[in-house]
Amino acid sequence: MRIVACIKAAPEDQDIHVAPDRTLDLSRAAWKVGAYDLNAVEAGRRLVDEVGGELVGLSMGGEALAATKLRKDVLSRGLDRLVVVAGDPAGDALQTATALAAAVNEIGDVDLVLLGAGSADRYAQQVGTVLGALLGRPTLNAVDHLEVQRDHVRVERLLEDGVQVVDVPLPAVLAVTSGINTPRIAGMKDILAAGKKPVLEVTPPVGAPAATTRTVSVLAPEQKDRGRVLVEGTATEVAQQLAQFLKAL
Amino acid sequence: MTEAWILVYDQEAGTALTRSARALADRVVAVSLGAGALATADLTLTVDVAPGTLVEAYARPVAALLAERGATLVLAGADVRGRLLAGQVAAHLGVSPVDVAGVVQASPLVVTHPAYGGVAVVTEEVTAPVAVLVVAAGAPGPAATPPVSGSSAVEASALEPEPGLVLVETRAKSGEQVNLASATRVVGVGRGFGAEADLDLARAVAAKLGAELACSRPIAEGVGWMPAERYVGVSGATIAPDLYLAVGISGQVQHLVGVRGAKVVVAINKDKNAPIFAHADLGVVGDLYEVLPALVAAL
Ligand SMILES: Cc1cc2nc3c(=O)[nH]c(=O)nc-3n(C[C@H](O)[C@H](O)[C@H](O)COP(=O)(O)OP(=O)(O)OC[C@H]3O[C@@H](n4cnc5c(N)ncnc54)[C@H](O)[C@@H]3O)c2cc1C
Repeated sequence: MRIVACIKAAPEDQDIHVAPDRTLDLSRAAWKVGAYDLNAVEAGRRLVDEVGGELVGLSMGGEALAATKLRKDVLSRGLDRLVVVAGDPAGDALQTATALAAAVNEIGDVDLVLLGAGSADRYAQQVGTVLGALLGRPTLNAVDHLEVQRDHVRVERLLEDGVQVVDVPLPAVLAVTSGINTPRIAGMKDILAAGKKPVLEVTPPVGAPAATTRTVSVLAPEQKDRGRVLVEGTATEVAQQLAQFLKAL
Repeated sequence: MTEAWILVYDQEAGTALTRSARALADRVVAVSLGAGALATADLTLTVDVAPGTLVEAYARPVAALLAERGATLVLAGADVRGRLLAGQVAAHLGVSPVDVAGVVQASPLVVTHPAYGGVAVVTEEVTAPVAVLVVAAGAPGPAATPPVSGSSAVEASALEPEPGLVLVETRAKSGEQVNLASATRVVGVGRGFGAEADLDLARAVAAKLGAELACSRPIAEGVGWMPAERYVGVSGATIAPDLYLAVGISGQVQHLVGVRGAKVVVAINKDKNAPIFAHADLGVVGDLYEVLPALVAAL
């Protein structure tokens, strides 16, 4: 089985500097693969280990994807190889999915495309839904459990008010939840092996779709001023102070 | 006259969606996938959903219907099914779905949604000829929306689902319904709790305070100690209680976004440098295993 796991690099939230005028400075932020994308990588690795085949990482993005460190990091989590498409990481779901769809077709013979719950920067949770439509393949989101059964996968899909058990014929596109598994931490051996795994750069498709929106502003939300009083002491002391504070509310 | 189309598969959610749609348009037309006629809409196109079929299997024919009727504004809910339906309908219409947490203005349409885990809010204008919006529950309209009910005409629409996905069974989620949004006091628990049974310490405090229990995302999705409806943050519930008491929560921005509207924030954390303290009115530095029992005694 050939499985593609989609991953996106995004700036680390903690490294984003907010200026007094609420504008953001991303220049000092390290770019990392989204935490939830690793659930897709892990799910793919487990399936391939079980039924055999190959796990290919696929990412669209800019300069951040050229960094050896980032490539090695994601390759060490269980990918067999990585395919990188040059593109704008700020693109919308349709623009991103269009680039990914072309790459999936170029990789060829892909039985299953996996995505995480959502990207670390936008978290719109829509690249998978659009990608599935573009590829014309059965598509599901919120997949919380999956199992290969011959020519299809049986999945459990976590809804707000219940769980659906769905049979999905292959090839398919599935976005998994952040609770589906615990992504592995790479060991020394994995990191060393990652350096030798192939990385392929493919050219993006010509004629990307027009953007659906025009960005007006990207600003930090207004902060509420909090009291920021800190109390320390023995448990009994602080509990007394806290109880007093709470009773006065 | 402006017209909004809403994608509905559940009566209650459909009614809420009509409210959002009325804030943007004069007339609301519902495409109801197996949920019957919607009293709050001006017109419902009812589609029978065959047993064993997912509502999402109708994405392509629904997109074709919307295109044929010249729809330019389409709304779906920001739940799991709404997202998939909206994403696929949008793709078939040749646009990207637009994530909407808030509406700045209706014409031209300008909306907001969080980014970078809540560090930022993106404001954007929809410039595509068709807007397919994924609307967060209670996303406020540009103006207070009067409780208009529609003329509720009904038209049956025969659509053929796309083959592929087979719904084997649906298991209803057991357990209580929670409505954190309306709670006046909330106690939030995080990874500072070492075991599921220890949450009883927080339950005892919540009982004393008359508070609802909430949690950080890893408590719900990582270890599964609490149902997903109880986690607060950018991808979970947004709450605005009079009091939010965060216990064993570090205060990552993704979590804090959900409690920005709280009147008073109190935090208990054993790490003096925990980020939560910068966002709390009162911070208690201490071990929750000692502070919580003492607090129950003192309340
Ligand atoms: C795209 C995206 C979306 C996300 N959305 C959400 C969201 O909606 N909501 C959400 O909550 N998270 C969300 N997260 C996760 C978020 O980034 C944090 O990982 C999470 O909020 C941390 O949870 P926590 O504070 O419980 O755990 P931790 O960060 O592990 O903090 C535990 C805290 O407990 C303290 N502690 C430990 N032992 C004790 C003790 N004995 N007594 C007192 N204190 C103790 C520690 O000092 C620490 O500060 C999201 C992440 C991503 C990438």
